[in-house]
Amino acid sequence: MRINVVYSTQHWIFPIITIGVLIILGILLIAVEGAARVKAGKGFFAKPGAFFEKNYDKVKFWGSIVLMFAYFFMLDKIGFTVCSIIFLFLFNTLFANKEQMGTPKYHVVSVIISVVACLVISILFGTIFAITLPSGFCTIEIPALSLIIY
Amino acid sequence: MPFAIGPEYIAVALLGVVIGIIFGAIPGMTATMAVAVFLPLTYAYSMEMALYLLLGLYVGGISGGLVPAILISIPGTPSSVCTTFDGHPMALKGESERALKIGITSSFIGGMISLVVLAFFTPVLAAWAIKFSAVEKFLIILFALTVIAALSRGQMLRGIWIGMLGVLMAMMNQFSVNNEYRMVPDFLKSEMQSGFQLFPVLIGLFAVSEMFQQCETGMHASYTKEDAMKVENKQKFNFFRDFKGQWINVVRSALLGTFMGILPGVGGSAASLIAYSQAKSWSKHPELLGTGVPEGLIASETSNNGLTGGALVPLLSLGIPGDSTTAVLIGAFMLQGIQVGPLFITNNPDVWNTVLVALLVCNILMFLVMFFPVKLLAKIILIPQERLYPVVLMMCTVGAYATLNGRMFDVWCLLFFGIVGLLIKKFHFPVSCFLIGFILGGDLEDYFIQVLTAYDGSLTGLFVRPMSWVIWALIVISVVYAFLDNRKAKRQEKEAAAKQ
Repeated sequence: MRINVVYSTQHWIFPIITIGVLIILGILLIAVEGAARVKAGKGFFAKPGAFFEKNYDKVKFWGSIVLMFAYFFMLDKIGFTVCSIIFLFLFNTLFANKEQMGTPKYHVVSVIISVVACLVISILFGTIFAITLPSGFCTIEIPALSLIIY
Repeated sequence: MPFAIGPEYIAVALLGVVIGIIFGAIPGMTATMAVAVFLPLTYAYSMEMALYLLLGLYVGGISGGLVPAILISIPGTPSSVCTTFDGHPMALKGESERALKIGITSSFIGGMISLVVLAFFTPVLAAWAIKFSAVEKFLIILFALTVIAALSRGQMLRGIWIGMLGVLMAMMNQFSVNNEYRMVPDFLKSEMQSGFQLFPVLIGLFAVSEMFQQCETGMHASYTKEDAMKVENKQKFNFFRDFKGQWINVVRSALLGTFMGILPGVGGSAASLIAYSQAKSWSKHPELLGTGVPEGLIASETSNNGLTGGALVPLLSLGIPGDSTTAVLIGAFMLQGIQVGPLFITNNPDVWNTVLVALLVCNILMFLVMFFPVKLLAKIILIPQERLYPVVLMMCTVGAYATLNGRMFDVWCLLFFGIVGLLIKKFHFPVSCFLIGFILGGDLEDYFIQVLTAYDGSLTGLFVRPMSWVIWALIVISVVYAFLDNRKAKRQEKEAAAKQ
């Protein structure tokens, strides 16, 4: 078997082979698993089990996705440190259970963790290790000291 | 034999081991996560310092899993599943301290045996692999992919399929030979010149998707402070008594774990399951395993720590990661501009020696940190996940952003691959197969095109070299094994269902 390696189109050779393998294996997978379901007395396309756990925590699950989206969206607008403090507190609040939600101590600890963890990470990585972090309108830059708090 | 060692290296290794143990001991957090989260910290370190930290996290992460497995019957990491079988019954009998000490000692011995295998086997494999042409390199990656599938028991087809999807996603970039894009939308062309970066993909698949899953179940532990948190000591640990007659079990389990580590993509859970079932079939009293005897505990813990050295063998000799944690280590080597593969040892003898010394130091530190303050270990389990996950997410974000010197695209990839990882798990595909496919996809394509170019487009090039016949034989053996094992697994499943 021969495959013509043409310079202008060779970037598609392997992806096409991979897609071909995926289609063949996909059909095989559906056929084999379908046949096994028929053998077990179910329909060929029998519905698999529920996607989510029974009584899954809708607020925490969808809330974490939305909060993460909002966190990433705001990161390079607000700046790493302030944005992370806000969202770390929000994540701590989202992850609290009903009992913790009602206790002020939990929220005070959340604030402390958010502020301390974000400042430590920001200073350690951004200032000491000079790793670039997302900057925004809350980023403080002191050129005289060559110091940036992202 | 130059290598890096000194108080600063030992201090960093100690930090790694302690944090690793904490990650390992908290159910829902894994060694992979620990290594990945702390990878950005190594941006500022030398390669040697980074190795001490990351190997400390790796060894600590794998070992920490035994604590909740023994005390509350919940494996801290997937590799400690079998530790629960005998470890927890021992704890229920009031022997939790003895069980923990047996587990810790077994982990240490397993780590040491695998270190010896790593030291002797890697140079041999690398010397063999140095003679590889593109044909053998292509075939060895193909072999790696079939091995993953062969070992995803009962999920062979799913394993191959998702592995190929990983290969396809690795090709979403600009092809290096003719600079043409493929499978990249126009608006992402500037960001995806080199495709998806490994770090955000890995963190997304393993840490973010895990966080989503924990959120789904409410992000609160299913255990409380009252749950067997007291480390009782009704029967004291005695090394000579507890390990008497267990040496064959120890060596067999450690070597099995190491061997499973050498096979690409096979995690610690498979290693400990196989070692445990072997211990059971060779045992003089198989009926006692599962009731709280040291034999099962030793098998599980020596094998999962045996994995650590084993998983580094293919990484350092062939450039193929042995498990998901060593896949993160590729990222660390890449950051320092070091190419892992057949030439690694020849080109970087200092780094190679440091790997061995660091692994030795980390195993010793793990033993000291866990064995003596054993009563404190129980407290780690009580660190609340809801407090740790937000910090982990923030550190992952820092790591992703810094991957290519500050791009928000890589941060968004975290979220994207978190959802991809969740979907892969929800549809019951093995995530590690996807990851290995993704890591090896680029090389697989490069070598394939090189073979085609060298043999004028003819696929016969894949069969002409005698060394390639050996690899073809290995591929055939692994496919046949996969097929037979798959049938056996399905038959066992049916029998189990019939019994119920």
